[in-house]
Amino acid sequence: MHNFEFLRMVNIGQYLPLQSVLHRLDPRARILIYFCIIAAATFTSSPLGLAIALAVTFIGFWFGRIPLRFALRGLLPPLPFLLILAFLQIFLTPHPDEATILYSLGPMKIYLAGLISAGLLLLRFAVLILGLGLASYTLSTSEMIHGLESLFSPLARLGIPTHDLVMVVQVTIRFIPFLAQAAERIAKAQASRGADWGTHKGGLLARTRQVIPLVLPLFLTSLRRAETMALAMDARGYAAITRRTSLMVMHFTWKDALAILLGIAAGVTILWVG
Amino acid sequence: MHTYQLSRLQGALQVRQGGTVCQGICGMTINPAGLPFFCPGYVKIFPIMANAFISVEDVHFQHPVRGGESTRALNGINLQIEEGEYLAIVGANGSGKTTLGRHLNALLMPGQGRVLVNGKDTRDPQNHPAIRSTVGMVFQSPEDQIVAAVLEEDIAFGPENMGLPPAEIRARVEEALTITGMQEHRERPPHLLSAGQMQRAALAGVLAMHPRCVIMDETTAMLDPGGRAMVKQLIHRLHDEGLTVIVITHFMREAVEADRVVVLKEGTVAFDGPPRDIFIHPADLYSMNLDLPIAARLAQSLRPIFPELPADILTPEALFRALPSYMGALLPDSLPRPSHARNDCADIIKVEDLEHVYLSDTPLAHSALTGASLCVGEGSSHGLIGSTGSGKSTLLQHLNGLLIPQQGRVRVGAFDLNDAATDLKAVRRYAGLVFQNPEYQIFEQYVGDEIAYAPRLMGEKETLRETVRSAMTSVGLDFETFKDRFTFALSGGERRKVAMASILAMNPAILLLDEPTAGLDPRSRRGVLEHLNGMQTGSKTLVVSSHHMEDIAELAENVTALANGRDQLNGSAASVFHQVEKINALGLEAPLVSQAAAVLRSRNWPLRPDILRPAELTKNLSQIVEGSHA
Repeated sequence: MHNFEFLRMVNIGQYLPLQSVLHRLDPRARILIYFCIIAAATFTSSPLGLAIALAVTFIGFWFGRIPLRFALRGLLPPLPFLLILAFLQIFLTPHPDEATILYSLGPMKIYLAGLISAGLLLLRFAVLILGLGLASYTLSTSEMIHGLESLFSPLARLGIPTHDLVMVVQVTIRFIPFLAQAAERIAKAQASRGADWGTHKGGLLARTRQVIPLVLPLFLTSLRRAETMALAMDARGYAAITRRTSLMVMHFTWKDALAILLGIAAGVTILWVG
Repeated sequence: MHTYQLSRLQGALQVRQGGTVCQGICGMTINPAGLPFFCPGYVKIFPIMANAFISVEDVHFQHPVRGGESTRALNGINLQIEEGEYLAIVGANGSGKTTLGRHLNALLMPGQGRVLVNGKDTRDPQNHPAIRSTVGMVFQSPEDQIVAAVLEEDIAFGPENMGLPPAEIRARVEEALTITGMQEHRERPPHLLSAGQMQRAALAGVLAMHPRCVIMDETTAMLDPGGRAMVKQLIHRLHDEGLTVIVITHFMREAVEADRVVVLKEGTVAFDGPPRDIFIHPADLYSMNLDLPIAARLAQSLRPIFPELPADILTPEALFRALPSYMGALLPDSLPRPSHARNDCADIIKVEDLEHVYLSDTPLAHSALTGASLCVGEGSSHGLIGSTGSGKSTLLQHLNGLLIPQQGRVRVGAFDLNDAATDLKAVRRYAGLVFQNPEYQIFEQYVGDEIAYAPRLMGEKETLRETVRSAMTSVGLDFETFKDRFTFALSGGERRKVAMASILAMNPAILLLDEPTAGLDPRSRRGVLEHLNGMQTGSKTLVVSSHHMEDIAELAENVTALANGRDQLNGSAASVFHQVEKINALGLEAPLVSQAAAVLRSRNWPLRPDILRPAELTKNLSQIVEGSHA
């Protein structure tokens, strides 16, 4: 029974402060590696490529000492949507006229091509979700922010406010667990007054309806909170000077270079086999 | 008070006229460095304005209200704060104390008049970086001030904004972590810290900027006794190290810790002086919706029995020191033994060996309950005490079926929560739970609709109006005045009452309350307690959790103390609070009356063991005094 543990569903954005080889790499190296793998998994068209990408992600979990069960749980919340998408994909995939019909039910016909592309879709999303999960478990927000900032620093010379943009990302990430916690508290308060939360009843319509009274207090508390946070940031001198410095000092070593090369190699392989 | 305001006026005049007058009147001299020396013993100081560390000069401020008349928050405030002072700003809700605090570090700019920090005018944006790194501010709700997703990164936020080199930032982060005792939590995400830890983290973030002054805006309102004591200790330490400390509070017991108290009333300074002077006219305090500190109140009611108690007792320590020893004849036979007997449990709630783990099977799993038992008699009132994280809220949420037992048994009325077939909605109707923070509970636009939400869901139609009316009356909200009010425009105390009424509208047999008075000012707090007391005389069973032992002493017949997810002490309120040492060991603070009784017992007073309220203490004491005279 975990009816009200909304936080449980949010494992993207959950950093796990472990001491692994992966965690010790330069954040910029990690960002580049994850980017290579995720981009390659997005664009490859072959099942073999995706299988390799999946394997690379699992190797990543192993190096990062991420508990596998925890990582796989990230697949559960979006699973219903993925299944619906895959189901549609089966019927919507274009096919050559002479293709073999595997099964037919009235006007609905299932072709091999449809099945394959539905399977690919599921596999691709699984890889992407796991890959993003890997990134968020091993990159703390501060690492990601300073890493991105450093990688984007050439853009600042063109007059793009990379600093503020990165801050926006940081505060957004800070708010994700908050929203989950707030939603949990509101749902509990409403359940105590007879709303249908957590009584394992009700169809899709009923479930959608109960979300509506959740939205207003969630908005109000978030706005109020954002206001206080802005005030607290002001009080601590944010935007007072243009050049912020950083707690984190990044050292790029040969290990990081090697890791990036491996990442690029993995990405190229995934694309090349396809 | 009149003479006082006159001198205030003179002070303002003197300041306007410059240094010489002031020098003549308060005997101040100026040393070559331009720093003022104060005449010893003289309390009110009007130094030359350019030399004061923070100087507030005739400040007016109005909060803009969209589409309406703006509300006046500050009405001509004059205040000089010297470096190294420990100052408390007190006032009821709406007196302007937070607004004033925000003027001191340039979060708000005066509409009229000016504020100088270290000689720099807050209205000039050029000065803001310097002012904000000189004057740091800690806010009331700890979770809202933490910006980063990892603790040490958050502490580094201020120094990063100052543009310091990384090595220096690292050193300052380490230092701030050490001062606040948060080293072991440096890599934890802030949303997994307790309220007390978060408040210390917020303070660390401010200290890392090496400010010369720290403003604490009601920072202890949400903390448990252990957290409050920790913050108090930190404040004293910082003050001893030469930091200027400004505490904004509505609790007199915190204000009297300071060297100087400024009382605000309707945006003006109503008093400015050392704490002992403030209590010469308690009546004035009451008129400002403030209260004497409980130690002073208890001293007042003990004075008829102990006429030798000094007039200026403000803190518990001073009171305990002044309590006399018993000189009469010892009559050991007449001493009743402490009774641990409980009301025989015609129990309406029975919890046995309950365990609960949050986020089980994840790396973030943590145990909230580790074998808690609870027994509440029908129609009784039961208090749950324990520090933050001891499992109070988790236990309460089991009692109305929001949480289902993972291990152990829970029975509420006729409902067995271990049985999967139990109708959870019926349980929630039977045992209504009022949450700690009304922000998360109120979602309708109008008060009337908000309270009608539950009965409407239950299908009530004809009697709805009457139900809402009686629910509102029972918490002291007038039906006609409040039914069409906007919920967002309510004050803190009113919101709390609406939240309570919205549960009472279901007419539950059991009322569960999680921290019903946290964050309320003294008057709203008294109001809520009175209504709860009234309800208790009805037939409802009450289970109340609170950080304020005084509240529990006033409300509860029986008490369970939790620590580390397990019940540690059980029994009648008197017998639990009688064990002052054990209560303190759990990180709690026994009610002042129990503590005073314990001190008196240690000084040989043959007091009864079941003393819980001031009236009981004075009655017992006068019986003893009379007895020994007879």
